[in-house]
Amino acid sequence: MSGRPVPQAVQATQQRNKRSLSQVRNAQMNGPRSNDKVLASLRATQVVASKPVLPAELLAMILDYLPVPDLMQCARVSRRLQEMVYDDTRWIQKLKAIGVWNEAEARQRIEDAMKRKVEAQRAREADEAKRTGVNLPGSVNGIAGGGRQHAGSVTLFDAGAEESKYRRSLEKPAIQTPIRRGTLADGFDDLTISPSSPGQASVKPWDPSIALRVLSEARSIRGRARQEFGKIYGALGPLHMNLARSKSHSDAVIFRTYRDPEQQAQILSSLKQFAQCDSALGWQEREQKLDSMIGVFENAVLREFEQGISANDVDGRMRRYAHVLVSLNGGNAGVDAFITKNPLMTRDGRMGNPLACLEAVAPGHVDLNPSRQMFERLAVMTVEQAAVIDRVFPSSVDVLTPLLSRLCEVMLSEYLTTLFDEAHSVGIETYVKAVSGTFEQALRFLASLKPTKASPADMPDKAKAMVTQCYEKHIDLYLAEELAVFTTKSGASVSHWEKELSEQEASTESYFMSNINRSAAKRDFLSSFKKVVMMPVNVLPAFSAAKPTAVTKSSANLNGAEASYSGGRPRSPSLTTGSNTPQRPGTPQAEAPTTELAAKAAIMNSRLEGIKSLFSIEVALDLTHLAKACIERAAIMVRMGGHYGDEAKEQCEAIFVTLLKVLGDRHIRNGFDKAIGHLGTYNPREVRQLKSKGSANGGTTVSNATGVEPLVTFLELVNVGDLIQQMVDVFYAQEMIATKLTDRDDFLDPAVKEKKKFEQMLDERVAAGLNRGIDVLMDEVEYICATTQLPTDFNPGGTTGASNGMSSMVDIGASDTAKQIVSMISGHTGMLTGTTDKNMLDVFVQEVGLRLFATLCKHFKRQRISVDGAMKLISDVNLYSDFVSSLRQKPLLPYFHALREMSQIYLVHIDPPAAYFSTNPKVKRASLLSTKSSPTALQAKELATIIADTQRYHGIFGAEEVYEFAERRADWYLVKGDVERAMYGVGCSIM
Amino acid sequence: MATEGDQLVKLESSDHVIIDTDRKTAERSMLIKNMIEDLGSPGEEPIPIMNVSETVLRKVIDWCTHHKNDPPPSAEDDADSRKKTTDIEDWDQKFMQVDQEMLFEIILAANYMDIKALLDVGCKTVANMIKGKSPEEIRKTFNIQNDFTPEEEDQIRRENEWAEDR
Repeated sequence: MSGRPVPQAVQATQQRNKRSLSQVRNAQMNGPRSNDKVLASLRATQVVASKPVLPAELLAMILDYLPVPDLMQCARVSRRLQEMVYDDTRWIQKLKAIGVWNEAEARQRIEDAMKRKVEAQRAREADEAKRTGVNLPGSVNGIAGGGRQHAGSVTLFDAGAEESKYRRSLEKPAIQTPIRRGTLADGFDDLTISPSSPGQASVKPWDPSIALRVLSEARSIRGRARQEFGKIYGALGPLHMNLARSKSHSDAVIFRTYRDPEQQAQILSSLKQFAQCDSALGWQEREQKLDSMIGVFENAVLREFEQGISANDVDGRMRRYAHVLVSLNGGNAGVDAFITKNPLMTRDGRMGNPLACLEAVAPGHVDLNPSRQMFERLAVMTVEQAAVIDRVFPSSVDVLTPLLSRLCEVMLSEYLTTLFDEAHSVGIETYVKAVSGTFEQALRFLASLKPTKASPADMPDKAKAMVTQCYEKHIDLYLAEELAVFTTKSGASVSHWEKELSEQEASTESYFMSNINRSAAKRDFLSSFKKVVMMPVNVLPAFSAAKPTAVTKSSANLNGAEASYSGGRPRSPSLTTGSNTPQRPGTPQAEAPTTELAAKAAIMNSRLEGIKSLFSIEVALDLTHLAKACIERAAIMVRMGGHYGDEAKEQCEAIFVTLLKVLGDRHIRNGFDKAIGHLGTYNPREVRQLKSKGSANGGTTVSNATGVEPLVTFLELVNVGDLIQQMVDVFYAQEMIATKLTDRDDFLDPAVKEKKKFEQMLDERVAAGLNRGIDVLMDEVEYICATTQLPTDFNPGGTTGASNGMSSMVDIGASDTAKQIVSMISGHTGMLTGTTDKNMLDVFVQEVGLRLFATLCKHFKRQRISVDGAMKLISDVNLYSDFVSSLRQKPLLPYFHALREMSQIYLVHIDPPAAYFSTNPKVKRASLLSTKSSPTALQAKELATIIADTQRYHGIFGAEEVYEFAERRADWYLVKGDVERAMYGVGCSIM
Repeated sequence: MATEGDQLVKLESSDHVIIDTDRKTAERSMLIKNMIEDLGSPGEEPIPIMNVSETVLRKVIDWCTHHKNDPPPSAEDDADSRKKTTDIEDWDQKFMQVDQEMLFEIILAANYMDIKALLDVGCKTVANMIKGKSPEEIRKTFNIQNDFTPEEEDQIRRENEWAEDR
């Protein structure tokens, strides 16, 4: 009972209503009213006694359920009901439901009205004053004089527009004074809602064109909401009711009144809007009816539209019916039809086979040409369609966005998923290449899109969001795989190298030191490394392939160069080619610098052959290459932006961190540890013996006598470590900073932290190695001292007699030992120049100097030195001292200066006391003659002065220490007494 | 122990008749629901419904019993005036087939006891009664005094001719 019959009932009652209305009117006009009234009131009193009366709020609630005509009937029942019905908020609500009420406009109008009212009141007062002829003290009196009704109207008008409207409508029949008219001249009285003659009401000429634009012309005036609603209702209400009543679209008035589809669409959409205010019982049926009407109409229009599409009648039918659909209900159906019928969507056969990218390629690679072609085709077609959209649809409807979104959802997503799934099953590396490659292509596709007129300003962002959506489900897997690929590959390359090394270990290794300018070579190498790193992405074949021939030629040249470089050394080429194989066969551009770098690497490697058992720069290069490829792929994904972009960034950092870990912890640290181990176990004697044996046997082994081999190796290692570190630095700057993947200043960033750690590790190793190296160096020095320093060097006369000693006097110059030591140390310190930073080097050299000094002191204290040998000693010391000053280490100079000063104590010639020597009778006699002031005593005194003069030695040696040195004089026991006497002033009395 | 909904609730009408019902039914009335919530439990004391007579109260409880499993009205239903204007369901329609006095009593009771759904049904029923009636008929039905002069009434009619059915 709830549904269908209601509208019919409404009709019936409404007809009845009309009849009864006229009866009532007649009765009121002509009939014996008094009788009726008496009876009615009697009846009323009876009813009052028994019937409960509903309170006002309940009545208002009941009114909410009434359709508009019945509301108006209610308004005529009594003043109270009229007040409720006329209540402005009720009508404002209805206008709001239709969507034509504008609160701001309403407020503006009230303000204007207030202003006008004030002016009008002033005019009225003046007028009144003129009329009455008396300028009464207050206007209140004047109003009072004007009549009660009049005064009431004015005050009520003051009270607010709403109220006044209500009153005025009551008072309209009353005679209005001219003043009143003046007051209301603000437009309130020109309501021409309906002609006032009752006879015209039912046959009022109804203008169809009004209905078309009534909604857009509605005004928001507080207090006039009912009238405004009246206008709308007058125009659309009949159509609405008619539509609700009509059986089919053929007999609905609107389709007969409006022939034009555009107008039909407009009126239907107006009605749809209007129906929103219909809250009376049965609105659901009416709305349903309206909806079905709109549906029928829409379908008809859609059919036309689709025919237009199939006929490709862009500016004719398509354009016309698209506009009709848009004005009907925003054109969603039209957009849908357009999209589903769109050639972009229908020609999916042309999308190409996603698996074409995986056919006929080497394992681990992916051929991105088919997908590129696909994207290019899509781009061209989308641009075409954008042009069509501009021609067909009005600029208020954004068609391109839904078209793109559908395109992404249906076509692209499917294509990519198929491709990725297949690629993943083929191999992880293929997968990562496919993902980032197609993503790059997709971004290019986006860049080539042209917005339509209707596209919102953020169209590119939206389109990007759509495309990224296609990738979203892949991105997590992708990033994880990318890291995995890098980790496994880098791990494998290190392990591979280690394995090769262990195989190699059996074969002899010759330590090779070439006299090249290391820092120049390093700079050269680094610069070409930088070139490679800065090279734009080589992951992708560029869309525009630019003159590959020339480049290939040059790369071939370089290849040749490389071959010639590595020709002499059997190991390098295999390593080089292994590490630097161009990753993608189809990318000639990327090849050239890579190969150039490879050539350089080969040269470098050949120079550094000596340390290849420890770690290899090629492996490092290889790793950085891998990392570069991975990071570049991942960096493309950063452009996805938002959450996934951040994730991609993090992953790039993770790759970088992994690179450092593998490179640092696994590769370099092992090498350093091994080298330090070598240094630790180095025993110069054994090695020397071994070597002398080797040279005796083969005679071909080039042994550099001055080299401490493990130290040489180690220093080379430091060189390479430094090179690798600089390489990492360049890599970091180019790949991570320049691409804004990380922030250099963010010290909490994992990549930065790891890099610091890496550098720290390297420094630590170098420091530890150098420390050990100094030990080894000094061991060597001591060894040389012990083995090569002949006793006769400083004491020519000591053992072989005077004749021999006389001849050796001629040989002035440094001893072999000193020469050897100096050349060895200078060889090793020189090797370090430019490897590590200056401070560290200084510390190293200073340490070497100090230790050398200590060793020399120890050494000299072991020697016995005669005055003749003193010349040799002094030249030795001068040699050391010159060498040290060549090191440019200020703090070291005083030590050797002191040493030089000290050596002079041997030069002091003291005639031995005559009593002890009989070889020189003259001297002997002299000493015998004057024991007190003999030359011996004088000379001893001189020596004592030298010994005691601490100023000479800059505080390096104390008198005691110099005394110790003095003890090493060959003739010490002869002169001891004299010297001591001179020094301490004792001995004389004892003697 | 019986669930909360099955607890016994005693209601006392204005003529001091005590009617037993279960809590769930009674709580269709927001008045009673809030009261029970304030008390913590229904308690032994009958809840006085002083504005409602026994017959009407029984009628109301009938309705509540039938609707006791309805979902509670959500806030958005109140916000949109259109949503509540659904048609009266059959059971309610039969329920409301009472004389006008009773109908008004029910509406008043529903209003007093704060039973929104029942109030809606009542108002809709009344609205259906008004529909299609002339002002005079309305006056008669609702016992309203006509305080317009015939001229005034005609003026209102003319003012609102736009709303008349054509």
